[in-house]
Amino acid sequence: MSLIELRDVRKIYRLGEIEIRALDGVSLEIHEGEYAAIVGPSGSGKSTLMHILGCLDRVTEGYVRIDDVDVSRAGGDRLARTRNEKIGFVFQSFNLLPRLNVLENVELPLVYSGVSRAERRSRALEAVGAVGLSDRTHNKPNQLSGGQCQRVAIARALVNNPRIILADEPTGALDSKTGRTILDLFRELSQRGHTVALVTHDANVAAEARRQIVIRDGKIV
Amino acid sequence: MKFLMGIGEGFREIRAHKFRSFLTMLGVVLGVASLLAMFALTEGIATGYREVMSQMGGLERVKVRVEPVPAHQESIRELSPGRTYKDALALRMNAPLLSWVSPELDLYLAVRRGDKAETFEVIGIEEDYLHTERHNLEYGRFLTDIDRRDHNRVCVIGRGVIERLWEDPEAVPLGESVRIGNEFFRIVGIFQRYESERDKKKRELRAKEAPPAQGPGAKTGKRSRWSTFRFKNDVVVVPITTFTTVFKNTKQAGTPDEGAELKLDDLNVQVADLNMFEEALAQIRQILMVTHRGIEDFSVETRQEMFDEMNAAMRNLHMSFGIIAGISLLVGGIGIMNIMLASISERIREIGIRRAVGARSGDIFGQIVIESTVLAALGGVAGLGAALLLMKLLVAISPVQNRPVVHMSAVIMSLTFAVGVGVLAGLYPAWRAAKLSPIEALRYE
Repeated sequence: MSLIELRDVRKIYRLGEIEIRALDGVSLEIHEGEYAAIVGPSGSGKSTLMHILGCLDRVTEGYVRIDDVDVSRAGGDRLARTRNEKIGFVFQSFNLLPRLNVLENVELPLVYSGVSRAERRSRALEAVGAVGLSDRTHNKPNQLSGGQCQRVAIARALVNNPRIILADEPTGALDSKTGRTILDLFRELSQRGHTVALVTHDANVAAEARRQIVIRDGKIV
Repeated sequence: MKFLMGIGEGFREIRAHKFRSFLTMLGVVLGVASLLAMFALTEGIATGYREVMSQMGGLERVKVRVEPVPAHQESIRELSPGRTYKDALALRMNAPLLSWVSPELDLYLAVRRGDKAETFEVIGIEEDYLHTERHNLEYGRFLTDIDRRDHNRVCVIGRGVIERLWEDPEAVPLGESVRIGNEFFRIVGIFQRYESERDKKKRELRAKEAPPAQGPGAKTGKRSRWSTFRFKNDVVVVPITTFTTVFKNTKQAGTPDEGAELKLDDLNVQVADLNMFEEALAQIRQILMVTHRGIEDFSVETRQEMFDEMNAAMRNLHMSFGIIAGISLLVGGIGIMNIMLASISERIREIGIRRAVGARSGDIFGQIVIESTVLAALGGVAGLGAALLLMKLLVAISPVQNRPVVHMSAVIMSLTFAVGVGVLAGLYPAWRAAKLSPIEALRYE
């Protein structure tokens, strides 16, 4: 069974009289261990697809299954739990909490899954080690470079051992050299067996992935 | 666990915006301070009231009053001897529910010592008087049955008499004589000084500043103020038998004939057990009905009504002060709500991030409520300190006021109010934060 399954997914926004079909009948399967890139120009619906995959948003129509959870029919708390347990997010703008230090930022998902303090600490240290930032655990995000921030974000995405890592333009805010190292990190994660879905408009970035899912005007082409 | 984390977050937020949090808390600080100060002040006033009540003999004291003969008994009024000494004896013998029965005679008489003379209430009493009036003897002895039997010319005086007739208000003139009316009486005992906390402080202050002013000039000023304590201090008591032999004739001159029996000017009794109060009253009535031969020319006066009124007044005071303090706490709460609203709109992105990594809307709700509660609770604790300072200040400015009394229950109540205000003030901002959609919150710049 595939890890992620989307069938005939539609997402329609209404702005007064105008109807915007952000996703218009998307069917998609992603298997365990895959490294997939979702590519498309801006406005193609790839961000919407990303939100649906990440359980941040609900579909208007269709069926979405992540692991064994039917998230198209789940309530808010169920979605939150799915996000917490099965998905790790990496955002373009890092989205770290500025007042927390590196370790606390990485611990954040564990707080919401009710892990004990001691275990939080050890798992966060492990994740920070995996992205090579063991010497910066007590720095605040504003004391780190962009690349380091993104590593922290990746550590945060990994800390709860999610089934899938979703990355939304992870190199968009970085210079090409730093972006390169982040992409190397994703490849490494993929090689270690993590399922990675990477959303990008950059064909060079997309070329990193073994599978390319191209989306245009809310449809997969 | 998450709760403790929430508290930690709350403190982190407060530290991150020290000045803003301080201003916000100030509202709660003032609210709690005024609430607690109000509790303490009214409690101080209540304590003063209770002092007065207890000095007046408390609820147990019951007075037998003379009443006009009811109209339907007008034709047989001669049957009743009125309120006589025999009533006292009958009550003492036949009313087991009474612990003390005090028949009294009194006159206002000139009391002289050397060339000083003052008018005081001179009361002829029996030994029970000490208990019904709740007197305490400071020096010497009280009057005894032997004094009564032998019609001894002895008296016990209150501190007020000494203050007015002696140069030194603290004098102990045991064994000296004073002239009451035209007879000399030996002083055998002195009552303690009765005064409220407030008067005591006033007196101590005066004693510190200057020796108390003596002479007629100072007296009038002092006497003009009504106080239970003054009545109790300005008193001369003599044996009732001596009183009848020495003064009663004086009293009868120019007053209507009172018949063969010794009529009393006052008859006070003390109920032994307040739980049997009504029964005791019935007993008094029954016995007096017999001695008065069925004529209802007396009534039994209790302090119940007076006490009820005092208690009601205290309750009203509490209520109105409480409402005022409550309003200031409410204002503090609105301040917190305002700041929490500002705080969440500046943290929308943070809320989005937390939602993305798995926070449920309930977690966000809880976090905001805890933060606002922490803010209010800190304000509350600071308010306690402020209240204590405030009371110190009040006492320093006006040391003769009733001393504020801080009860633990008032402290707990004020803190509870503060925390309650924090929770309430957090609810609306928390609801606003919790219903934010994760995507919109994440996109928010």
